[in-house]
Amino acid sequence: MASPSEAPVSASGTSVPQVSYRDAPPLITPVFEVGGLSVFYGDHEAVRDVNMTIGGRQITAMIGPSGCGKSTVIRCFNRMNDLIPTARVAGKIRYHDEDLYGRDVDPIEVRRRIGMVFQKPNPFPKSIYDNIAYGPRVGGFKGDLDDLVEETLTHAALWDEVKDKLKTSALALSGGQQQRLCIARTIAVKPEVILMDEPCSALDPIATAKIEDLMEHLAQEFTIVVVTHNMQQAARVSHRTAFFTTDVGAEGERHGRLIEYDETARIFSNPSDQRTEDYITGRVG
Amino acid sequence: MDNHALGKGPDADILEARRLKGDGSPWRERFFQLSLWASLAVGVVFLGSLLTYVVVEAWPRLDLRIVTNFPDIIDPSQAGAQSAIMGTIWVIAFTALYCLPVGFLTAIYLEEYAEPDRWWNRAVEINIQNLAAVPSIVYGILGLGIISRGLGFGQTVLTASLTLSLLVLPTVIIAAREAIRAVPQSIREASLALGATQWQTIWRQVLPAAVPGMATGSILALSRAIGEAAPLLLLGGLTFITFNPTGPDSPFTVLPIQIFNWISQSRAEFVSLAAAAIVILLVILLAMNSLAIWLRNRYSHRW
Repeated sequence: MASPSEAPVSASGTSVPQVSYRDAPPLITPVFEVGGLSVFYGDHEAVRDVNMTIGGRQITAMIGPSGCGKSTVIRCFNRMNDLIPTARVAGKIRYHDEDLYGRDVDPIEVRRRIGMVFQKPNPFPKSIYDNIAYGPRVGGFKGDLDDLVEETLTHAALWDEVKDKLKTSALALSGGQQQRLCIARTIAVKPEVILMDEPCSALDPIATAKIEDLMEHLAQEFTIVVVTHNMQQAARVSHRTAFFTTDVGAEGERHGRLIEYDETARIFSNPSDQRTEDYITGRVG
Repeated sequence: MDNHALGKGPDADILEARRLKGDGSPWRERFFQLSLWASLAVGVVFLGSLLTYVVVEAWPRLDLRIVTNFPDIIDPSQAGAQSAIMGTIWVIAFTALYCLPVGFLTAIYLEEYAEPDRWWNRAVEINIQNLAAVPSIVYGILGLGIISRGLGFGQTVLTASLTLSLLVLPTVIIAAREAIRAVPQSIREASLALGATQWQTIWRQVLPAAVPGMATGSILALSRAIGEAAPLLLLGGLTFITFNPTGPDSPFTVLPIQIFNWISQSRAEFVSLAAAAIVILLVILLAMNSLAIWLRNRYSHRW
C-alpha cells in the first residue's frame, strides 16, 4: 500500500464520480489472457503475478497510483518492453490462442495487430498525410494510399478538420489534434487492438472529451486497453477496470500488483477490496 | 523565523532596514563582468591582429595569379598555388568519401544497436574518445608506415586522404552520435509501434531527423582536416608540384604544405605569397563553416 508521503496528488478530488456506467459485454471472446505475468527490470520485479482476461471490442481501463506497474503491463501487450534491454517478462500472455512471447513470434507482426498510442502526442515531423501513410507504407501496403488516408481520418473524426491541409506539418496541429492524429495513424495499420498509455494526460479537458468520444466510437470495432490516471475517465469510457497498486515486500522492495479487476460499474460502486475502495474514494493516492 | 513561529511578521524597523537595499557588493559584479570581457578580448584581439597581419602581408599578392598560376621557384611574381588548391580539394573530397560512410555507420551502430552494458561496446566507445585526442602527427606516422609503405600506395592523394580519414573519423563518429541521440526516443517508439522494423525506423525517421546535425558536425571535422599539415608532411607530401592531381593515384600538394614551403624560403616575395595562400585557405574554411551553420539553421528540427 502506498504510504501517504508517496501517494500522488489526485486531480480527481475525493468523491466517486456521478456517471452512468457502461454495461460490460461478456468476455466470450477473450483477446488477451494473462497468467502469472511478472515483469523484471534487471533484478527488480516491477510487476508481480498479474492474472486477467481482456475481452474483445470493449474498453478495458487500468488505473492505480504512479509506479503501480500499469504502464509496464500495457507495454507487454505489444512487446514494447523488448526495447528496454534489461526488461524481462515471466508468465504467460496469450493473444487469442498464441503465446505473445513465444519463440517464433515476430514482435513486428505483433505490433501491426496491436497498436499503441502514447502519453505525449508524438507525430512524426512530417505532413499529416505522411503520418497516416507511414504505417501502411512500412507494412508494404499496395492499395490506394489517398483513399486509405481519407478513410482513416474520417474514421478518426479528423477529416473535416485537416482535409485542406494534408500536406502541412503535423507539428502545426494542436495537442489534441496531434493525439487524435496519432490514434488515426494507429488505426491506419488496421490493428485489432489499440493500447493507450495515458493518452489524455497532456491534454486539456475539451481535447480529452474528444478523445473519449473517439474511444467510444472506436470500441465498436477495436479492442481498447487504456492506462489512465484519471478515475473519472476510466469510469466514463471503460467497460471493465483493473485496479493496480504497489505492494511493499518484506525487504522494502516494491512490486506492482493487480488488486481487483471487474466490470467498471462494480469497481466504482461496490469494489470488493478495501484498497480499491480507498483509492477510488480518494482516501489513498 | 522566530517571528513566524509566534505568528507575528518581522518587526517594522527590520523591514525598514531591509527596504530596497541590496546587500550584494556591486564591485564584485562589475569585477566579474570585466574579467569576462577581458577574456573575450584576448581571443578577439589575437584573432584580429593575426588576420590583419596576414592580409597586410598578403596584399601585394592577393590577385588572380594565386589561383591561376602554379608554383614557380625561380620567379615568385609568377608563382601561384593552383596545384595546392586543387590538391586540397581532391584530398578533402576523398577524405569525405572514405570517412563519412564509415563514421555514420559506426555512429548508427553505437547509438541504435549496441547494448551499452556490453564490455566490447564500452571498449569501442572509450577507444573512439581517446583516438579523437591523439596528436595528428601520430596519424602521419601510421599513414607513412601502413598506408604509404605497407600497402604501397606511395605519396599519393589516396594515401593522404586515407590518413586524414583516420584522423577525423573519431570526430565524425562523435558528432554523428550526438545528432542521432538528439532524435527523441518517442519518435522511435511511434515508428516501432506502427509495425516498422528497426531498420525502417532508422532509415525513415531517425536519419532524416539526424542528417542536418550529422552534416554540420562532419563539415566542421573536415575543415579541421583541411588545415592539417603535420601528418601530410610526414607522408612526404610533395612541396613542389606544378600540376593538378588527376586522380587518387596522383602525386599532390595541399595548401598547408605549400604555405610551409614558401615560408621557409629566404626571399620576402615568397613570404607574401605564403600569406596570400593563407588567405585562400581561410576563405575555404570560412565557406565550409558557413555551409555548416546554414545547414544547421535551415534543416534543424524543433521538437
